[in-house]
Amino acid sequence: MTQLTERRRERTRAGVPRPRRGSAPDGTRRAVPGRHRPGHVPAWLAAPSLAGLALMLVYPTLFVVALAVTKSSLARPLQRFTGTDNLVEAWESLAFAGSLVRSVVFAVVAALAATLIGVLLALLLHARGTRFGVVGTILLLPLVTPPVMVGVAWKLMLAPVGGAFGGVFSALGFPGANPLGDGVGAFSALVVMHVWQWTPLVTLLVFAALLGVPGELREAAALDGAGAFRSFTNVVWPVVAPNVFSVLLLELVIGLKVFDLVAVVTQGGPGVSTIVAGFEIFRTGMRGSYEIGTAAAQTLVFGLVVGVLTTAVTLLRARAVKADR
Amino acid sequence: MPATPRTPVSVPRSSTSRLLASRRRVLSGALGVGALAATGTLTACGEGAAASGLAAQKAVDLQGATLKLMVNQPHVLAFTELLGTKFTEEFGGKLEVTAIPYDQLTSKQILDVQGGDGEFDVFDYFYFGLGELVEAGALVDLTEWIGANDEIATDDFLPSIYDPYTLIDGKRYGLPFDGDTHVLYYNAEVFQRYGVEPPRTWDEYDAAAEKITKDSGGAVHGAIVEGQQVPMILGCSFINRLAGYGGTLVDADGRPAFAGEEGLAALQHLIDVSPHALPTPLQTGFDQANSAFLSGQGAMLDTWTDLGLKAQDPSSSKIVDKWGVVTLPVGGRNTTPRTALDAGFGLGVSSASGQQDKAAAFVQWATNQENNLLLASTAGSGIDPARTSVLDADSYAEAAGKATDVIREGLDGTPLAWPNQQGAPKALQDLVDQLALAIQGKTPPQAALDEAAQSWEKTLG
Repeated sequence: MTQLTERRRERTRAGVPRPRRGSAPDGTRRAVPGRHRPGHVPAWLAAPSLAGLALMLVYPTLFVVALAVTKSSLARPLQRFTGTDNLVEAWESLAFAGSLVRSVVFAVVAALAATLIGVLLALLLHARGTRFGVVGTILLLPLVTPPVMVGVAWKLMLAPVGGAFGGVFSALGFPGANPLGDGVGAFSALVVMHVWQWTPLVTLLVFAALLGVPGELREAAALDGAGAFRSFTNVVWPVVAPNVFSVLLLELVIGLKVFDLVAVVTQGGPGVSTIVAGFEIFRTGMRGSYEIGTAAAQTLVFGLVVGVLTTAVTLLRARAVKADR
Repeated sequence: MPATPRTPVSVPRSSTSRLLASRRRVLSGALGVGALAATGTLTACGEGAAASGLAAQKAVDLQGATLKLMVNQPHVLAFTELLGTKFTEEFGGKLEVTAIPYDQLTSKQILDVQGGDGEFDVFDYFYFGLGELVEAGALVDLTEWIGANDEIATDDFLPSIYDPYTLIDGKRYGLPFDGDTHVLYYNAEVFQRYGVEPPRTWDEYDAAAEKITKDSGGAVHGAIVEGQQVPMILGCSFINRLAGYGGTLVDADGRPAFAGEEGLAALQHLIDVSPHALPTPLQTGFDQANSAFLSGQGAMLDTWTDLGLKAQDPSSSKIVDKWGVVTLPVGGRNTTPRTALDAGFGLGVSSASGQQDKAAAFVQWATNQENNLLLASTAGSGIDPARTSVLDADSYAEAAGKATDVIREGLDGTPLAWPNQQGAPKALQDLVDQLALAIQGKTPPQAALDEAAQSWEKTLG
């Protein structure tokens, strides 16, 4: 031990760099037969993960691509190669192009609203203390309610005859209001239901992030005279921003995947007003036409749209992380 | 009643279908990877309708049998509490019933066979999905079995439904189970209160709906129009009116014929009645419509014939003895009432069943005169007569009460049948999509019908 310490001191005095682990005393790399270099993970250990990935991601993707370029029905997939016919069919169908727009609008609006409200609620909860408490737990209730039940409950409440909101609408000066009866109203109602259900997720995750903001920084900011708003924008936000963008991304994905609410509350109607991409893919493949090939082509196009959208948010998050560092 | 002892026969377990399904799955998977490079025909799936391997002329013992059934959700009571109980009493067997929402029934049945699960023995199928099921090879061809089995008494099935419910390209794939037609129910008390007579024409229907809604200050809606955007709901409402105006869905050559004068009048009627109907027709499905009528919130409803049984059930109805029923109104130049075969179900044998003989024997048993009478006479079963002898039976008339004559008139006549060949579900969905856009005001009625007709040309050929 003493000799080792002495040797290190001599090297330091002579300006000789400390040999790295696995290197010979002269600094050259040393091959140790039968042993792996410390800190190095052999590539073959990744094989199970890669196999799992191939099974769960690559294979289904290839299968969807195969369906998309072949004449495929629910009963008879992969009948013959048809090139881009399914894409054309998808694009020319009554509701698909519009459903992409509706999906994006739905997801963006709902994600922004849920994130904004969720962050505000998290800040309010955090202002009360570091415990989530009973109020926080109650706020989480919508999150643990099955989406189908959320849809059923809201549909009953908004029913034009005998619905619980009938009195509320009358009190507000809109007797006989029927949000689900027209296109814009039904779409907006779905956004509200979705935000109601998924805002608690934002609250929960952002609250956890707020707990990670160093108390000393807040105290220092307060000592320097920063008010609540300044303290939030200059101290809290830089720390929690990456988390908030992560949650936004999550909310965006959840919004793009919305299906249950549409299926239960509006069935895509009235007309095609609330047909989002996921529901249209279901309609094409599983209801009525059973055209799995066209549904697969729609899935690929929708996947592309999802990719573009999520990439944009991911880039925003990366910028936030960089700024934080 | 105990079952008559029968000679048990050895039923060879038909594993062919399971093997085919497994092979199809494997091939599909392999082709999924290699399809991009492949050219020409890649067909690996769907062997068409399964050939019948049934012991056509042998008695099959259902004693102690356990059968798995996939059924339409509104029929669940018929299969569980009525047929299920009776099956256990007669045979000591068991029915395992899985109920599926009506808008997913056909796809679930296709997937059960094509997906390789082969979990079910008997399918309760929509007749307009029959062509899709046959194309998917999901149903056993029962032609020879039916022909060799006199006990089925096929001549007793209502002629108006027997072929549409079971026949595709000259082959039979099931037996009629639920003879569905629509009639017009009305709230007699409300009619009396507002001085309205039961309508004989769609114009009178409009006038009655408007008067009741206005005079009641919206407390009662003059009409309940089922307009949920699925063929079984909005499709029925449109086709009822189409038949009433003297129109038809396809002409003698199989080409779409609903975009003419009669179809336009039918669609215009749906649009015109909307302001006076339970808000709003496009939001109104089967359950909402029935609830509104039985609770007295709506004065008229064109719907399935078994509503009369529910209307007389005090546990679910506030209008016991306060309702009436008439044939569907007529309109335009047509003066002869005509109903339509709205929805309607048959029972068939799954090609993936491992006990097809028993499944076929069950289909025969479930559709026999005695059971059809039991189901058609029981409120809440969702089943209407499929046999002439049941339609004419005194006990059925007693149960159906004042609706009996109207129901008989509809089923004994020439009700308008929906297409049942492959592509029919898509064609019907395309039609109701366009109808909904027209009712919503997004598309002019004639343009909507023309668009739907083009889709039918493309889909049905």
